[in-house]
Amino acid sequence: MIDLIFYFQVHQPYRIRNFSVLDIGKGKDCFDDDLNREIMLKVAQKCYLPTNKLMLELIDRYEGKFKIAYSITGTAIEQFKKYCPEVLYSFRDLAKTNCVEFIGETYYHSLSFLYDREEFLDQVRMHREAVKNEFGFSPVTFRNTELIYQNFLSDLIWEEEGYKVILTEGVDRILDWRSPLYAYKDFSRNLFLLLKFYSLSDDIAFRFSNKGWVEYPLTVDKFVKWINDLHLIEKGGKNLFLNLFMDYETFGEHQWEETGIFEFMHQLPGKALKSKQIEFSWPSDVIQKANYQPESISFPEPVSWADMERDLSAWRENDMQYNALETFYEILKKVKSAGDPGLIETARKLSTSDHFYYMSTKYFQDGDVHKYFSPYGSPEQGYRNFMNAVTDLEERI
Amino acid sequence: MRVLMFTWEFPPLISGGLGTACYGIVKGLLKKGVEVDLVLPTKEEVYFPMRKVSDVDDLPVKFLSPAKEIEYSHTVFKNNSERFSFIGISSTPESYISVSEVKTFYEYFKNYTEKIEFRTRVPFHEILNNISGTEDIFEKVKEFTLRAERYARALNFDVIHAHDWLTYTAGIIAKSVSGKKLVCHMHATEFDRAGGSGDPRIHNIEYSGMTEADSVIAVSKYTSTMVVSRYMIDTAKVNVVHNAHNIDLKDFEERKRIFKDPVILFLGRITLQKGPDYFLEAAKIILKKYPKTRFVMAGAGDMEKKIVHKSAKYRLGNKFLFTGFLKGSHVDEMFAASDVYVMSSVSEPFGIAPLEAMSYGLATIISKQSGVAEVIQNAVKVDFWDVELLADEIIKLIENPDIRTELGEKGRQEVELIKWDRACEEIIQVYEKTTGRTL
Repeated sequence: MIDLIFYFQVHQPYRIRNFSVLDIGKGKDCFDDDLNREIMLKVAQKCYLPTNKLMLELIDRYEGKFKIAYSITGTAIEQFKKYCPEVLYSFRDLAKTNCVEFIGETYYHSLSFLYDREEFLDQVRMHREAVKNEFGFSPVTFRNTELIYQNFLSDLIWEEEGYKVILTEGVDRILDWRSPLYAYKDFSRNLFLLLKFYSLSDDIAFRFSNKGWVEYPLTVDKFVKWINDLHLIEKGGKNLFLNLFMDYETFGEHQWEETGIFEFMHQLPGKALKSKQIEFSWPSDVIQKANYQPESISFPEPVSWADMERDLSAWRENDMQYNALETFYEILKKVKSAGDPGLIETARKLSTSDHFYYMSTKYFQDGDVHKYFSPYGSPEQGYRNFMNAVTDLEERI
Repeated sequence: MRVLMFTWEFPPLISGGLGTACYGIVKGLLKKGVEVDLVLPTKEEVYFPMRKVSDVDDLPVKFLSPAKEIEYSHTVFKNNSERFSFIGISSTPESYISVSEVKTFYEYFKNYTEKIEFRTRVPFHEILNNISGTEDIFEKVKEFTLRAERYARALNFDVIHAHDWLTYTAGIIAKSVSGKKLVCHMHATEFDRAGGSGDPRIHNIEYSGMTEADSVIAVSKYTSTMVVSRYMIDTAKVNVVHNAHNIDLKDFEERKRIFKDPVILFLGRITLQKGPDYFLEAAKIILKKYPKTRFVMAGAGDMEKKIVHKSAKYRLGNKFLFTGFLKGSHVDEMFAASDVYVMSSVSEPFGIAPLEAMSYGLATIISKQSGVAEVIQNAVKVDFWDVELLADEIIKLIENPDIRTELGEKGRQEVELIKWDRACEEIIQVYEKTTGRTL
């Protein structure tokens, strides 16, 4: 049996406005309200609303056989409420179907686990609360920001209430001869690990509309055949878990409606379910469905789902990123010990990993995905705005 | 006496350093009764007949073509910017960035506008049209030169005054058409701008302009030395007229601090010429001793990225900050929020920014490789390359607020003495000497 596990990441950061040294100490909001609203409304129209509608239809039609999972960040939930509450309502409608699992993560989609474990746990708890309040769901599955994972993450999550499964990237250098299709356990804490099957995930998320790709166009029949073929690796009757993890914005935003992405998703469940050996599952279903003792696997170095490198280099590679991160976490400590809730909230919004992602210079010249996602003209501009905003925060303590 | 004056900038139309200087010069000349027909790189063939002092701000316009002049005089404009867009001129200081930078700026703005197009809030397109690649500035100079003949034939004047290489060729044409004497004003040589050998085409223009000129005005001894030694211009026709400023003295009350701790300011284009890297190196030294000091680098330029990366590499935290490109009123705000101003230029023909800083009562440190160092006493002077000394001097000012205040106050008083009226008297003397006519 192959369990097809769709998990979609839903996230919007609070983008920082053009923030000059002269704006420091003037009590100005460092976040770009207009831009954040504009982007939220745009993505809501192009992606969230139509895709949620589609998912709801599919769930209704297949009467419980089509199941999916979401991780929705706190900053996304807040911005739904602020700019486009219909989106939140439609996620709640999805939650009511009982066919949707909600995954836990850091409320602010931050890199805090690398710098400040206490802050990391605070943000994880905040997110658990938010998911409970908004969707009535207590997360069992955890995913760290951008699927970042390393052995000690399990130690932290193990101590947290409720978590039994962690999602991360199926990185070749870690897996070596092993396949990401099996369930694994972490190194020390007996938590399940599910690993993203990146080639098939990225076929949908990145290559779907790429006309230069040899498999273009990607049809549902072709995709289902590939899934069926995966079964050939298992002769002993072990359940396989095909983890298709991607940004939710793939639908309608990264892959526009005209590419046929909605039609693809519309047809996929029906055709997949025709095969007797494919089922849709939640990540947390692995607890019951792993009909074997999973092998444990060690991640001595951090991995993530970002860029070709699948490591931390998207957020922490150049000097600007290091300096910004180090400075930020120092100031966060000061802000927290001063205790002003307003300032703590602002600081946490600044902890969102996207701010450091915008500073990446890795592929900037070639116009890569970093550039696509960045609201700034250059990584340096992103750095400048961030550092000035952080300094403003420090001056307000 | 009437001057046909060619320049590339004039506020508020285009307000770089050259424009600021030209404004002071024209105003000073008008005060002394000298009339000026000002020609700028406008799209339409117009000139600005300056007859009375208020004209420097009102900017009256006349068209060369009578038909156009009639159309213009019948058009009602809501405001000046509408009027200026009719005559076709934008407000980017392109002449004070070097040719090698133009491309960087263009890409910077292009990149920026691409990102924010959907936001429509920033009208960057105008800037883009103006800065559109390396060659464009030469095209514009060519066009400007071709027109010089028509101006020279249509207008009545006694002497021609051309500012910087961009207008030298126009000056030469006007001279040969009219037979009037030519004064070439050297605000910055290509050596200064490029911080190295520079663009040979510009050197050629600078050389021919000053060779054809009957008189050359250099903005400092520093510049005149360069004119003589590097361009082999006859010393007899080179005159030094130090620049002045139009800055109003600011009250200390206007000081608006941003930070509690001392703020050390670099304000200027972030290019090789301005020596931003020496400022950064000094900051690195100082922050080891006084980690709370704030360093602010204000401005934009082709070395900005390099300095940003290097400051991050030095892990100066948020003690070394950047403002990006600053507009006029923000420049004032930045000065008012600072304690020490540093001009670490590698080569500065004059350097007006330190005077501006001093007018705010900022303690000022200037590089010895500048024209302004010749006229100012109440500033600390260091060689741009002597980073250790620069750091020591800044530390002295950090440690001794009294000395800082005293230097600032003395500098402020000194700045008041540097007036365009004085500079214009000297310029008129050059006119008189050149034309053999008295005012």
